[in-house]
Amino acid sequence: MSQVTSPMSLESRVTPVPRALVLELREIVGEKHVITDPDRLLVYESDGLSAYRVVPRAVVLPASTDEVARVVQVLHTAGIEVVPRGAGTGLSGGALATEHGVVVGTARMNQILEIDAENRLARLQPGVINARLTEATKSFGLYYAPDPSSQSACTLGGNVAENSGGPHCLKYGVTTRYVTGLTVVLAGGRVVRLEGGAGEPYAALDLVGLFVGSEGCFGIATEIEVRLLPMTEGVRTLLGIFDTMEAAGRAVTAIMASGLMPAAMEIVDQATIRAVEASVFAAGYPVDAGAALVVEFDGTEAGLDADADKAETCCFAEGAREVQRATDAAHREALWRGRKKAFGAMGRIAPDLLVQDATVPRTKLPEVLVRIAEIGEQYALEIANVFHAGDGNLHPNILFDRNDADQLERVERASKEIMQLCVDVGGTITGEHGVGIDKRDYMPLVHNETELEMLRSAKRVFDPDELFNPGKVIPDPVVEP
Amino acid sequence: MPLADVVSAEALVESGGEGGSRVAFAHLALGREPDAVVAPGSIEEVVALLAWAESNSVGVIPVGTGTHLEDRRPAGPYVVLSTERLSGVEIYEPADLTLTAKSGTRVGDLARVAEEHRQWLPFDPMDVPNRTLGGLASAGVTGPLWAGYGHLRNHVLGMTVVCGDGRVLRLGGRVVKNVAGFDLIKPMVGSRGRLAVITSLTVRLFPLPAVDKVLLLEGAEASSLLPAARAMATAPILPASVVLSDSRDGGSTLLVRLHGARETVDADQRTLESHAGVLFAVAEGSQATELLTATRDAGADAAIRLCLRALPSQLGALLHVARGPMAGMNEELMADVIEGSARLAWSGATTDAALVIEELRSGAESLGGTVTVDRCPVGMDPAALSSRLSADAREIGEGVRRIFDPGGVLL
Repeated sequence: MSQVTSPMSLESRVTPVPRALVLELREIVGEKHVITDPDRLLVYESDGLSAYRVVPRAVVLPASTDEVARVVQVLHTAGIEVVPRGAGTGLSGGALATEHGVVVGTARMNQILEIDAENRLARLQPGVINARLTEATKSFGLYYAPDPSSQSACTLGGNVAENSGGPHCLKYGVTTRYVTGLTVVLAGGRVVRLEGGAGEPYAALDLVGLFVGSEGCFGIATEIEVRLLPMTEGVRTLLGIFDTMEAAGRAVTAIMASGLMPAAMEIVDQATIRAVEASVFAAGYPVDAGAALVVEFDGTEAGLDADADKAETCCFAEGAREVQRATDAAHREALWRGRKKAFGAMGRIAPDLLVQDATVPRTKLPEVLVRIAEIGEQYALEIANVFHAGDGNLHPNILFDRNDADQLERVERASKEIMQLCVDVGGTITGEHGVGIDKRDYMPLVHNETELEMLRSAKRVFDPDELFNPGKVIPDPVVEP
Repeated sequence: MPLADVVSAEALVESGGEGGSRVAFAHLALGREPDAVVAPGSIEEVVALLAWAESNSVGVIPVGTGTHLEDRRPAGPYVVLSTERLSGVEIYEPADLTLTAKSGTRVGDLARVAEEHRQWLPFDPMDVPNRTLGGLASAGVTGPLWAGYGHLRNHVLGMTVVCGDGRVLRLGGRVVKNVAGFDLIKPMVGSRGRLAVITSLTVRLFPLPAVDKVLLLEGAEASSLLPAARAMATAPILPASVVLSDSRDGGSTLLVRLHGARETVDADQRTLESHAGVLFAVAEGSQATELLTATRDAGADAAIRLCLRALPSQLGALLHVARGPMAGMNEELMADVIEGSARLAWSGATTDAALVIEELRSGAESLGGTVTVDRCPVGMDPAALSSRLSADAREIGEGVRRIFDPGGVLL
């Protein structure tokens, strides 16, 4: 991570797109959908990871596959890089503009094109907000399973680019499991329909699966087909309060080992509990608790109480101080509040927050959390942990002040040590936020140069001139002196 | 340099020796004898073999148990790379619900290991216990249990592969959530050995369900069971699998699996019965096992096997298409109701097979669907008989293939 600040005026930080090109783009998408005014461009200077800031040369907002194709054709013909952007909620700087690039945003491509309830499929544009899809399909008794924490703001196009997860992915899996087809705009404006995976014609490679999670480096998905699930009949939510994080971690392992399949299992640590309880989001979690564990089961009403009883027994057996069970929807919301509002609450106690993301084998959680606390102490940083415990997906959140250069450097070093730690125990550097710009330099921790070169080659299959989201995901090759 | 100088003596398999049956099958499927059958015992031997093959312009066909080889028609010299010596569990941490095994490990052996910890791999394609884990991933087949658990491609967490030019790649990892780089596992799963040789895999396991309830509805023919079958695909609960099977002489059966706690599966049964307006029989014990196995493996020995796919709502029309040209061919039909697919297998007369398949394909395609030929007699080309890929998919797929196997060593 490195902070990008500049004393230069806004105008001098932006290299304008030639006027003739702007006119050409406006011809395609309409006058007001090509943004070149530096003040308005400022909105697009970062995504959810605000430590990185680059003001794009221009932002273009097309409304259809055809418009995207023509815009990309114009830009690529002029040799201009294209940075795709959804709602900009990403936490790895994946939608960060490049100095020479133009951002192509999907905000206007927000139509749900078809809900095929009979076949439990939906076809939509990439700018549709995740939560809106479930809202639209609810009346058919259906919903869209992947539920990233930002689901009220993030777009399906962004979810496809990042292969987003979410709390309930423990049981239901991440975005890639639900995408059945894609229409994409590739280099030069070529429109391609990708198929693959299940239901493929003979000898098809799963190109949909390859495109999902490509972080805007292959092209722009302009139509997305997804599978929907029948809504579950019932839900049971438990909140276990533990004196120590270790005991909460053991309870997670015990629940999984007992054969239960919770829909979600989330842990917040003491630092997070305190931040939440000191905020307007106070959820009633005891502030002296070492950790709080939210466990949720969903499915057929008939079996849920038995599942919840079994999980409760596991929690007490591992030393839970108390276990609450939601009695109604409002109570459920309250039990979840400490988890869901954690990031918002942390914003109140430090000017900046680095939301880290890594995955470790579930059984390594207790030892990794101890080590993360030690790393925090070593660098005199406050680290608050909120994580998807069921699948070992950690979010150590480092609280800091970007204006403190020394602290910023310590954040960077602590982050790298945490990543190395997760890799050392058999984990990886990102579970759901993507590599983007933030984790790019950590990629050699998990991939050797041969593997990195393979990723570069994979990009070039889709984007031979490397004009889509350059500089993301893969570090530059090491050049021998 | 002779092959014997490149790989160990143990790796050179005699046709009649250990694993002979597999090799014999490979010969049969491939239409002519390979120049050698090599069973490397390590990644290094795989690398050495591929390097030798590339420098000697010899093609290589990776083989697990040889279930999906029918489309290979090697024109020049070629070697069969058997994964039978790449066998065994490497890492199994039950509490993590993940398992890493070498690619030649039989799925049945893995199932036994996992079952000791009340875990399993919820995949049920044809003949699954006898197939290898690498072969399953390479074929990209899951079976009807995908409905309740998702496709195999979503449960392969990591792979070690050797590319055609000998590069060793570790793809993915050992954790269930991992987005560190582009997902190269996805094109590997289902690539039928054409991108790289899989040497080991990490897969996600699941807790064994407390109860595996098998519901049964029998009818004189598939069409009489179709309304109930379709109701399974629109019910408010999602069964673990729904298969409609039909044979000319054995009548028709709708098999529905429900997984979960006792009270859950009982309630789910009531929900399905009320939604479909039918009452199911419940198959218990050995009857359930036999029914499931028979349905799963139906057509395993058939001379011709193919799969028709369309949207689930088109199942009735798809079954009509499937039955159309088949009169008197004594075929087996198994439909995955949730997926909207129908597997057809027949062993009888094959003289008119190409014409029959063409009619099936045209019928499925008129419904917006596809036909994939999985097995056909030597002399017929399954790729030509199957629905064609779009030109874009072919071109991009070829690009992906080139980055894995630039020299085109893997046939």
